[in-house]
Amino acid sequence: MELEERARDSADNCIACTSCIAVCPVTKANPDYRGPKLVGPAHNRMHFSDESDYEDSLKLCSNCKNCDITCPNGVSVATLNMLERAKYYKAHPEKHTQADQMLSHNFQMADMLKSIPFGRTCANIGMSIGEAMGMMGAMGIAPQRKSPRFATKYFREMYKEIKQPEGLTKEVLFFPGCFIDVNDPEVGVAFVKVMNANGYKVLMDDRFKCCGSPLVVGGYLDEARSHADNNVAIINEYAAKNIPVIACCTSCSLMLKAEYTELFAQEEMAQAAKNVYDAFEFLTILAEKGELKKVHVSSDKKFIYHAPCHLRAQGMGMPAVDLLKEIGVNIDSADAGCCGMSGSYGFHKENYETSMKIGSELFDKINASGAHKVVCDCGTCREQIKHGTNAKTTHPIQVLAKAYEQ
Amino acid sequence: MSKSDVVVIGNGFAGLMSALVSADQGKKVTLLSYGAGTFPLNSGVIDVLGYDDSGKAVANPAQAVSAVADEHPYKKIGTQALEESVKFFQDVVAAEGFPYVGSLNEQQWLVTGVGTLKPSCLVPESMQGSKCFEASEIVLVGIKGLKDYYVDMVAENLAKELGNDKKYTVVTVDPHYQGARDLTTKDVASWMDTEAGYADFVSQVKGNAGAGKVILVPQILGLKGNVVYKKIVAELGCPVVETTAMPPSVNGLRLRDVLLSALKKKGITVIENAKAEEAVIEGSKAVAVKAGGEVRLQTYNADKFIVATGGFYSGGITMRDFGEAKEVVFGLPVECDCVEERWVNKQLFSDKKQTFAKTGVRVDATLRGVNESGNVVLENVYVAGRNLSGYDFCFEHSGNGVALASAYKAAKA
Repeated sequence: MELEERARDSADNCIACTSCIAVCPVTKANPDYRGPKLVGPAHNRMHFSDESDYEDSLKLCSNCKNCDITCPNGVSVATLNMLERAKYYKAHPEKHTQADQMLSHNFQMADMLKSIPFGRTCANIGMSIGEAMGMMGAMGIAPQRKSPRFATKYFREMYKEIKQPEGLTKEVLFFPGCFIDVNDPEVGVAFVKVMNANGYKVLMDDRFKCCGSPLVVGGYLDEARSHADNNVAIINEYAAKNIPVIACCTSCSLMLKAEYTELFAQEEMAQAAKNVYDAFEFLTILAEKGELKKVHVSSDKKFIYHAPCHLRAQGMGMPAVDLLKEIGVNIDSADAGCCGMSGSYGFHKENYETSMKIGSELFDKINASGAHKVVCDCGTCREQIKHGTNAKTTHPIQVLAKAYEQ
Repeated sequence: MSKSDVVVIGNGFAGLMSALVSADQGKKVTLLSYGAGTFPLNSGVIDVLGYDDSGKAVANPAQAVSAVADEHPYKKIGTQALEESVKFFQDVVAAEGFPYVGSLNEQQWLVTGVGTLKPSCLVPESMQGSKCFEASEIVLVGIKGLKDYYVDMVAENLAKELGNDKKYTVVTVDPHYQGARDLTTKDVASWMDTEAGYADFVSQVKGNAGAGKVILVPQILGLKGNVVYKKIVAELGCPVVETTAMPPSVNGLRLRDVLLSALKKKGITVIENAKAEEAVIEGSKAVAVKAGGEVRLQTYNADKFIVATGGFYSGGITMRDFGEAKEVVFGLPVECDCVEERWVNKQLFSDKKQTFAKTGVRVDATLRGVNESGNVVLENVYVAGRNLSGYDFCFEHSGNGVALASAYKAAKA
């Protein structure tokens, strides 16, 4: 059922104060971008009758949400951008590039490779060859980057081999998200360890699809809607059984908690959102109830934390940093704004320069910090940090899992 | 989230100063922010009192403040807290390497983005318009492609203010901008932060600099405190003055960055995008505020709360219908002459304050909300900034001054 309050109507709350332009990382880095105010709310308010009417710089928005964070009037600026972008591509499907297609549909590639014997190994070799021969640029992918490799075993396969302790009475459903599932499954393994140590059995549901975030930024809104409907139905099914759904990727959790409802304004989406938690949000709730497993870390290893924009947009502070500090980890927030990657954005060849310019402040801070590792909840932020610095990266759940092992 | 001593609600100037003063008292502070406050919109200068109740220009803010009407927040705050707050602010920004000049005993003069003069009290060194008074020649710098800055108009208006015995020279600098959009002062300031941009600018202006002259520029001297200002004054060998400007305000952003840096050093926790929705009240005290994001509210417990949510303009106070104004988080009593006929003075720039602007929370001298009989409503909830009733910052030019002094007093209480 359609909700009465729709983010797409929030453009009328815009008072054109320019706060969003002042903080927009893309506006700062790229003089061709007219800025979130003009592209989202202003464009939307024109209520163009002709769907092909197009603002040239619409494609430059990275959907990082800093405009939403800074807006004093609750305008869903980035979502308005995405809706405008979708409208354009609906009228002009032929304008989609090969890179749009690939970067928005990585989940299809991942599934296909899994079904072919040695598919992943071959694909990884193929990527290495492609990168060495400079073929990525021809496909519209930034040739400077190393694309994330496919894990030889996805998390969904590893999960089946994990022996969770007997007799755990409480359950949570894990939403791994594509990056953790196919590129960085060790994060999922760490999550299971942490939840098991706290008395929770971790469930998986293979019916889950990609959250749809890469589809939205690619302008494939109808596909994103079908993913949303699929995922929301599953989440509500588990809600009826009082089983919370937890994500370790902050872009996935933002999508499930907020963006579905903003984009599509359906009541069941708002309902499902109530049953979704970021991993450290959930652990913090346990800690507040005195139910979190106690542990103390005594190591002087210094960590630096990068807060993903999609976590900051969730309006709950930085629960991972607070929790890790609480158990004695020497960790401090870099506080250096957006890393510039914003999911698949920085992988596009034409966005590479903008993406690296945006990240430069963070790279400088990390390089100057002398930290042992960079801690960050977002997989593509970690890719960007590895690319822009020589630092090693980890997910906060891996730091906690390690603390539990000691 | 573990309990704080003080929770400050609001991310504008009053909120950040409340947090800093509280932390300076040794308190554990959490600041709930929603939106960027008015920093990108105002010039980041501290007006204390530019005009009195009758609209007459104030020469000595300290004296004029002691003579304001009983309803005015300054009356409740008192001159001592105002003086201390000014010193506190100047110490904070100076420690961050971004000193503000001025005192309560005189006005500073700003050159506005249209070439008029405006009184203020505390301003960064780069905005001291009074440096134009003694100069024999004002060199006005325009920037090719800069939005909303008409340098010829600035020259014409400034000549009306300062007289025709001075020489007014206009120079237009080309920033060699290749982008597709209109330039903002922030874009030009970022360009000035680069070595190449700075050198390019200096080479285009230097020929016009010299003894007896003042270089007047829009707000473009870099985004990082006074780094570019100090460098360029030394290099050009004559005073350089920045005007106020249209949003996004470069100096507002500089001030915000400097204050956030001070907040971080004090260990203040800032929660972004966390709109305070409701309060948990026990008896005559608030014990927590619930604020948060998209799906669920987080609970922030504290012994004391400071509400700096920005009044009508920023959603701290709302009014569905005349006579139904309310403060949104704690439901503190709002006073105003909420009658449709008197709500607005149709002569926007006349000699009368606006009723809607004077609408705010009714407080006593401790800055806590009081009911109609003058009794404190919530013992541990204090009000700062635009939420206060009884003043029209636009009319009297007291915006950040009331914010600063009330933040200081609320935090000290």
